[in-house]
Amino acid sequence: MKKAVGVMVLLVFGLFMVFGVPAFAADTIKIGVIGPMNFVQGQGHWNGATLAMEVINAKGGIQVGNKKMKIELIKADSNEHLSIPDATNAMERLMTRDKVDFVVGGFRTEAVLPMQDIACEYKKIFIGCGAATDAICTRVAEDYDTYKYWFRMTPFNGTNLAKASIAHLMSTAGAMKQAGLNIPKFKVAAAIEQAQWADGFVGLAKAYIPKLGMDLTGVWRPSANATDVTAELTAIQRSGAHIIYAIFSGPVGIPFARQTGELKIPAIQMGINVEAQKDDFWEATQGMGNYVMTSNTYARDVEQNENTKAFVDAYVKRFGETPTYTAGTYDAILFALAPSIEEAGTLNSDKIVSILENRVFKNTTSTIKYVKDSEGRHLHDIQFGPGYSTGLATQWQDGKLKGVWPYKWVAAQGAPEVTYKGIVPIKIPPWVIEAYK
Amino acid sequence: MDLIIFYFRKLFTILKKEVLVLPSRVVVILFFLFVLLLPVLPVIGNDPYMLRIFTLTCIYAIFAASWDLLSGYTGQMNFGHALFFGVGAYSAALLNHHIHIPPWGSIPIGALVAVLAGLIIGIPCLRLKGTYLALTTLAFPIILIGIVFAFPDQLGGELGISGIERIARSKVISYYIIAIIMLGLCTIMWAITDSKLGIILHAIREDEIAVRTAGINTTRYKLLAFSLSGFFAGVAGGLYAHYMRIAGPSTLEVSLSFQVVIWSIFGGIVSIYGPIGAVFVLFPLLELLRFWEQGRTLMFACIIILILLYMPDGLFPWLRDKIEKECPRCKKRNFWRRKTCRICTAELD
Repeated sequence: MKKAVGVMVLLVFGLFMVFGVPAFAADTIKIGVIGPMNFVQGQGHWNGATLAMEVINAKGGIQVGNKKMKIELIKADSNEHLSIPDATNAMERLMTRDKVDFVVGGFRTEAVLPMQDIACEYKKIFIGCGAATDAICTRVAEDYDTYKYWFRMTPFNGTNLAKASIAHLMSTAGAMKQAGLNIPKFKVAAAIEQAQWADGFVGLAKAYIPKLGMDLTGVWRPSANATDVTAELTAIQRSGAHIIYAIFSGPVGIPFARQTGELKIPAIQMGINVEAQKDDFWEATQGMGNYVMTSNTYARDVEQNENTKAFVDAYVKRFGETPTYTAGTYDAILFALAPSIEEAGTLNSDKIVSILENRVFKNTTSTIKYVKDSEGRHLHDIQFGPGYSTGLATQWQDGKLKGVWPYKWVAAQGAPEVTYKGIVPIKIPPWVIEAYK
Repeated sequence: MDLIIFYFRKLFTILKKEVLVLPSRVVVILFFLFVLLLPVLPVIGNDPYMLRIFTLTCIYAIFAASWDLLSGYTGQMNFGHALFFGVGAYSAALLNHHIHIPPWGSIPIGALVAVLAGLIIGIPCLRLKGTYLALTTLAFPIILIGIVFAFPDQLGGELGISGIERIARSKVISYYIIAIIMLGLCTIMWAITDSKLGIILHAIREDEIAVRTAGINTTRYKLLAFSLSGFFAGVAGGLYAHYMRIAGPSTLEVSLSFQVVIWSIFGGIVSIYGPIGAVFVLFPLLELLRFWEQGRTLMFACIIILILLYMPDGLFPWLRDKIEKECPRCKKRNFWRRKTCRICTAELD
């Protein structure tokens, strides 16, 4: 008898787990947060969304028509680094089982594309906070009726990421000139990891660096997981480069920075180094990563606008680390969705889409404006440039990650000069000054 | 009318004397019914989420069974089986995306391309055995990923090829198409293993020299095994691409190659039904474990380890041995409660 009861309990538990928990809370707005939750990117998604939910719910919720509705977050582990079907299953679950009203998150493009298909099939707004590929937004322009429910929040697309890195390169050269270094013509060495996303930077370096009046001494392609890059660095040193244009998303960013410091190569390192965006970079490089620059989204002392400080401070206080760009779920919920829902007075996706795509609003890093393509079709991609999204460049300066760009940045003749609050000048490593003084 | 009655009686007799006498055969019938009736089952049938899980399960079942056909039956240990899946997926995606060939054309052609891949791999691998063969096959999907990244304009690079035509607009129809293909292909694979060809493949696995001594051209049969396995895995890949509407580098990843090995060993190799059953247990199980996101993979791994620890031949052969006994004389299987063999009446211990 006992055995039979045990079996029954197990069966009921099993059915409960298989068929899920029915949604009881009808007066809440359900937002699905989807991302690789066991990885740093997914944690950023969840942390950002949690903070946004707390801010909104503390104020009583979102005004939808004549009633206030609180936010309820549904966590969905897409496991997209390891399995694409896992990601699509998680999205389908959010749509049909959890019956969410909106979705934020996503990271790996190969997973985001089918997830986008599913969300759009159910006509649910999906705000991307991780994948940078241009093609995701191109789909909106090509098939607006199907894909209009997709919007990008962070980061800005790959093309603009490249534009920003070139702007950082020019600023770095400018800072070296201002330091009075005796360099008649700058030499740049490109160190770009072996990854497809980084391939575009090779062409970019070859095309743009000579146009900027600089010499490209060569392109080196270390593995994204390399633990020793002495050979590449020795070759770069021999090439006489003054600037190292480094593009790394993988762990190679740490040995590259550490060994550059150890070898005291007379060149300043800038570009994209995802490892250098993390708080533990200083310890990981044992301080040898001093003066390394990288593109970034947040820095503790930098205020891109009036919303930055409150968010970064709250994030650091709550989670003990500087937010990364996947924490843009905060912006997606608090600044994109909430006001649009209030303006629409309904949770109807079509009405919210038409409001959101025409809104210009500030989030924690910039002013967001959704752009159209050259044919005037909606892309739901964000505007890049002064006054809009620009991103940051940060530099490790004596153990602290400081914002160094945009510093008196003039994007084009006649464009306004941009300097964010808290941005400090780029510091040139003393051994570089000594080498070229 | 009499003819109909005659066939009904014949069917009833077969059911009574051939199917219902063995629990494993009843289970197979129930499995067929479950797969075919799933969309009309209460709760599950109305749930697109469950339908998605079981549609993907059907696709992976073909994939897992195709590995068993090559590595289980023929003993050609393939650790790079994702190559066939990926080639099938990419070929179907390319044909559909660029030449607009509909799924009913792109999937079989994609599978034929996978057969070609099977031959290309099979030829250099013929001289290799065991660990050397496993490691060599492991390298092929990695090489193909390199090719995909080397030609991003043609093969989509890191993003893959997306926007592929659906198998059908309706999720239920998509499920039925995939489920019926799965049942059909798996039955064909089972029939192959039960045929003369299957016996030769099995013999090659046990003692290749002895088979060669018997005058059988093992090279030809091994190549045939690579091709057949490539075809079935290629169909699975094509179905995946059209169902997910994307063919990306993840279809070639090492993790997928290992996953198919795990499924097969979990279910029981050299059986065809073992890997299929394993996919039907493990793939939904991973979804079931979503109630504990952080420990999902860990719990999943623990379940697999425990099963393999106590059932080293795999879950389904273990279960089969529990409900059926083999006759020591005629080797026919019997219901475990029988005292004498249903065929030769020999005593069962």
